[in-house]
Amino acid sequence: MSARALRALVRKDLLVELRGREVVPSMAVFVGAAFVLFRFGLGGTDLAGGTRAATGMLWVAIVFTALVGLSRSFAHEREGRTWDGLLAAPVDRALFWAARTCSTFLFLAAVQAVALPAFWLFFLQEHAGPSYPVLIAAVLLADVGIACLGSLLAGLASSLRAREVLLPALYLPFSIPLVLTAVRVTTDTIPPQTGGFDTLGRLGFLALYDTVFALLGWALFEYVVED
Amino acid sequence: MTHTARLDRATAATLAAAALMAAAVALIFFYVPSDVDQGYSQRIFYFHVPIALTTYTLFAWGAVNAARYLWTGREDLDLKSYVPMHLGVIFGSLTLVTGSIWAHISWGTWWDWGSRELNTFLIIFLFYCAYFMLRFSVEPGARRSRYSAVYALLGVGLIPLSVLAVRIAQDALHPVVFRSNGVNMDGSMFFTFCVALAAMLSLALSMYLVEMRGKRLDERLAQLRRLAREAA
Repeated sequence: MSARALRALVRKDLLVELRGREVVPSMAVFVGAAFVLFRFGLGGTDLAGGTRAATGMLWVAIVFTALVGLSRSFAHEREGRTWDGLLAAPVDRALFWAARTCSTFLFLAAVQAVALPAFWLFFLQEHAGPSYPVLIAAVLLADVGIACLGSLLAGLASSLRAREVLLPALYLPFSIPLVLTAVRVTTDTIPPQTGGFDTLGRLGFLALYDTVFALLGWALFEYVVED
Repeated sequence: MTHTARLDRATAATLAAAALMAAAVALIFFYVPSDVDQGYSQRIFYFHVPIALTTYTLFAWGAVNAARYLWTGREDLDLKSYVPMHLGVIFGSLTLVTGSIWAHISWGTWWDWGSRELNTFLIIFLFYCAYFMLRFSVEPGARRSRYSAVYALLGVGLIPLSVLAVRIAQDALHPVVFRSNGVNMDGSMFFTFCVALAAMLSLALSMYLVEMRGKRLDERLAQLRRLAREAA
């Protein structure tokens, strides 16, 4: 029952996005524009700060792109007044959080499939290719963390008047440990850097971050949902 | 009767805080020897570290009451969660200021991005500032209490993760006093530190009791105004 309900809720989110094309294109345009802006900001010809600055910019751009998507996360339910109908469904309310986490993760991963090659082209094309398994693992683990916490906070902010301003303020302090770690892992994937055991530890940290906020999201979402 | 008991508790805590604070200041400036490496300026340690530990205690107390609020739904626990958070932000600001002064004296820079403790504290401080933004964006009532409690509990996840993330991402610069194999200071220093910590904790307790009393009086006043309007 739970798995079927979760599948149905995720399918609904994907169908709404497929028909409206509201969130993913906005996120893609935003991240592309951010890369161009950062590239000019770090110097048009020579990249100031080297690869470390570039990977830092990548993760800052990813976090802000996620916020662009999350700010629209519960907008359909709010504007279409469908939230009450959803709440009337005989399913655990934490499933709404789980479904929104899954759809946010999928949107973010879809945007990154385009954004990461663009990042390499803009910032690191003179370097050899990265260590793909480590980079993909880092990106996916970070995306899970962003989606777990972001969905909970987007739900929290969705019913407030100042939601557009509030969501970044609520989310950004949580993104600092994630960005700190993800930047180090991403830098480790660029040759000639080799992180070895340290990189594995940092990936483990990202997995721990995901676990902590997945558990908290699951446990706390029912208190976020309006009665 | 209850009101009188509460008044007494607040007064007793304030008197204890004043006595302990006077003792701590006397010990810090007239008793404890100067540190061999950092000299006289290291005395700021006896203010900075107790204030930081008091901040963590206040945040933990706020989070415990937030969890109890969500568990039981008792309205008074919302206030008991909010007031320590509020005081925690005040003590947190003092931690950042004293830490910054100490950094300037010891390392010649107002803020060191390589200091694990300062940076961890900064993340946590930002989180609690966001807590206030959230709390005051919601109309007073059950929803405000619920949202505040949820966000306060998320901080319980953030604090250890921030400590860990800063640790694995940066190199150490901050002096390490408390190690797993014991305390790295002599007996008189440790005694002074304990008195300073007791002074800060009792100051926080007295401020908590006074603020709780004020908030309760506000609530009663609002209730009386409502009743007067209804009667009129």
